[in-house]
Amino acid sequence: MDGNGNGAVTLVLVSHSAELAAGLAEMARQIAGPTVPIVTVGGAVDGSLGTDGGRVLDAMKAGAAGAGAVVLVDLGSSVLSVRAALTELTPEELANVSVADAPLVEGAVAAAVAASTGCTHVEAARVAEEARSVAKL
Amino acid sequence: MSPSSEARVERHATLPAEVALHARPAGALVRAASAFAADVFVSANGRRANAKSILDILALGAEGGVELLIDASGDDATEAAEHLALLVPALA
Repeated sequence: MDGNGNGAVTLVLVSHSAELAAGLAEMARQIAGPTVPIVTVGGAVDGSLGTDGGRVLDAMKAGAAGAGAVVLVDLGSSVLSVRAALTELTPEELANVSVADAPLVEGAVAAAVAASTGCTHVEAARVAEEARSVAKL
Repeated sequence: MSPSSEARVERHATLPAEVALHARPAGALVRAASAFAADVFVSANGRRANAKSILDILALGAEGGVELLIDASGDDATEAAEHLALLVPALA
């Protein structure tokens, strides 16, 4: 399964801050429309700034079980949590998840719009990574 | 003249006065352009943006009432340019 049949790929947004992830999800939804599932994983277990590896893994597994998932991360330990979660996935789940090496805001918006056109998680991640070379000014 | 420039199709379209090419309208334009095989670009304010790239389109900063130049090249260029030229004035 390459996640192209039923519905849009899921965006998984991983941030140290629950508010940052939620605000970005709101923005991406406004631009891309309501068809793209967006899952946010923000903050540590106790709600402070940080990452919760267990929730990161759960979100990636859930996305992989659907039409595929593209994962976007902010900084540092978020990246480490995602890397750790990748080692816990089955080969089938791994084939259904792409981690985008992209700036979080631009990458999430670009991936969400791409996902809304019905592309695969691999394509959505590629579009997110193109955000690295788009000039703002 | 290269073959691609011969195949280039241009259309003009004006954004509704109250609709800037931000957020939701920008997403709608990119989704529409992405449905075509042709390379599609939108120009405004002296800039030219890839109509299939949301970040490029957002960077145009086209405000409501602005006239856009749509240019398309490739197999379905005419269909793409005409479709977008109808879509732009209807964005909400």
